Amino acid sequence: MSESLRFVSDELQLMAMGFMATVYILRVRWLLKFKASRDRQAPSEYRGDSSFRGIVYSWANIAMPWSMESTSRMPFFYVQFVVFHLAVAANIAMSIIIPYAPFLIRPLIVVRLLQILFAAACAIGCYRLYRRLAHPAIRLISTPDDLFSLALLTLWCFVSIFAAPNRPDLGEGPLMVYFVMTAFFLVYVPFSKISHYLYYPFTRFYFGRTMGYRGVYPLKRVTQMKPTKG
Amino acid sequence: MAQNARSHRADKVVKRMGRKLTRQMVGSLVGCVHCGMCTDSCHYVLANPDDPTYAPAHKADQIRKIFKRNYDWTGRVFPWWVHAEDIRTDEDLEKLKDIVFGKCTNCRRCSINCPMGVDFAVLNRMARGLLVSAGVMPEGVAAVSKDQWEVGNQMGVLPQEYLETLEWLSDELENEFKDPAARIPIDKRDADVVYAINPREVKYDPRTISDAARIFYLAGENWTMPSEGWDMTNFGLFSGDDELGAAVAQRIYEKVIDLRAKRLVLSECGHGYRSTRCEGPNWMGKEVPFVIESSVLTMLRYVKEGRIRVDKGRNKDSVTFHDSCNNARSCGLFEEPRELLNLVITDFREMYPNRVENYCCTGGGGAMSMSEYTPLRLKSAVIKADQLKATGAKIVATSCHNCVDGLTDVIRHYKLGMKVMQLVSLTANAMVIPEKVVGPVDAP
Repeated sequence: MSESLRFVSDELQLMAMGFMATVYILRVRWLLKFKASRDRQAPSEYRGDSSFRGIVYSWANIAMPWSMESTSRMPFFYVQFVVFHLAVAANIAMSIIIPYAPFLIRPLIVVRLLQILFAAACAIGCYRLYRRLAHPAIRLISTPDDLFSLALLTLWCFVSIFAAPNRPDLGEGPLMVYFVMTAFFLVYVPFSKISHYLYYPFTRFYFGRTMGYRGVYPLKRVTQMKPTKG
Repeated sequence: MAQNARSHRADKVVKRMGRKLTRQMVGSLVGCVHCGMCTDSCHYVLANPDDPTYAPAHKADQIRKIFKRNYDWTGRVFPWWVHAEDIRTDEDLEKLKDIVFGKCTNCRRCSINCPMGVDFAVLNRMARGLLVSAGVMPEGVAAVSKDQWEVGNQMGVLPQEYLETLEWLSDELENEFKDPAARIPIDKRDADVVYAINPREVKYDPRTISDAARIFYLAGENWTMPSEGWDMTNFGLFSGDDELGAAVAQRIYEKVIDLRAKRLVLSECGHGYRSTRCEGPNWMGKEVPFVIESSVLTMLRYVKEGRIRVDKGRNKDSVTFHDSCNNARSCGLFEEPRELLNLVITDFREMYPNRVENYCCTGGGGAMSMSEYTPLRLKSAVIKADQLKATGAKIVATSCHNCVDGLTDVIRHYKLGMKVMQLVSLTANAMVIPEKVVGPVDAP
């Protein structure tokens, strides 16, 4: 391994990660500066409503596609979401595993599984980009940041397909590009929509707390047949 | 300097936004990933598929861009990158007004369909409040708010008009039961129940008051109605004006405390229930020392405890139930009305979707008072009309006066031939009148 590759896969990553962590801490501090409003009303008399149940349900919402009409009606869309986010998580893990615990991704089966996951995420990213540009409502709400973040993540997944084998002996190019991109991401993420995972616990916590307290969450749904018209 | 380029009103809106932001709101402002999952949850979108400006995320972005430009770092440094934009002119405010008042009923359906937990309805209400504070609002909102501030109720019902209505309703009740005790008690101290109503009942639908009075009388309830602080509705919920919300809620709470009552029962009104039961204490910043419940729960308890006897055979027509957004989606009140309905009617037909996922009647969020948006509202009501039609029911029951008006408009516009009724009327109609009525028991 060359000195340059060692630098970009180690020191550069640590610096970028340190930067990201610092910005995140500042960001959370900024968010916490705003006062959180309380639910002062009495809980419902008729059911065992609780904020705690609401919060847990709200946080778990991400793993319950049936909990929202928007996801239950579009199972394929939900699968895309799962695959894409799994790939991003695996990609982040890989950026740490390669320099510090490369033996974990040495077995060929692991490499192939990662490559399949990254390829799937890349395809999904392309589709999502197309959707952003083709669907009038989504195009209207898309900002340059939305498009750039998605395009860059898609490209990152594409590059990861070639970085996953971790074979600098066959050429350092793919690993070099992969680690430079990863470092760029770590710096860019706190300023982009990709940092939404930082807000998810907050937004879901407060929404779930109120909805749980008021007996809306966990959602009660009665199984029924959609009536036919006419 | 950005603020120097703003009109006086725009500057007021931006500055006030900084003071109104809570952690929940900021979370919703920064948390949107523009995934578009909320889009198809909105009845405005479904009814206007060719107009992407109805998408909840787009509507939210009209508020978000002001926040980003003025309060969020990326938007302040790279506004074009995240579509951050300041609001500068009075025309900008008018455009925002048409979005937050005219293109959204604050039904919260998009909020429960957002994977990130972004509560757009809360943002929309905040934006309404900011505009109202700058004097930018639909005429109807201004008129109703003024009535609620000045007269004490949102329909400008004068005290004499209210008391006279209760008086003649009492006379009717007394005649019906041939009992001098069968009257509506006014300002009775130490009652178990204070019953507060929607001024619409006095103005347009007094039979719902007499139906409730009959139920209280036959249940032997120790109840009263207040001479003032009787309006359980609260236009502060619709206008986004927290000060109005707190003042109206306080007015009714103080009256209940003054009467030393144990329980405040609210007549069937979605926004009244939400604002008096759920939001009032939050706007006021303090807890309420008595029980507040919907009359649906009171009626259900009477039937279950055998305090009133009902014969469901008296309501033979097919009935479907429309969940009010404020009752169901914001307060979790959706099973009890069904439980009561199944005790007082014979043919119940569920609407699809229902409960928390039901569609707005399209008259929510104060839309009934904003006549300039009526064509938009009725066009978007095609979703509700299809939903109603598919049930095949003759009657649509609802626990909300606003929904009664909204649904009546939809039914008339789309020629559905259905009748809208409230649970109080269906329950009163199902009541079996005993030969001897047990009178109310006064508190010791």
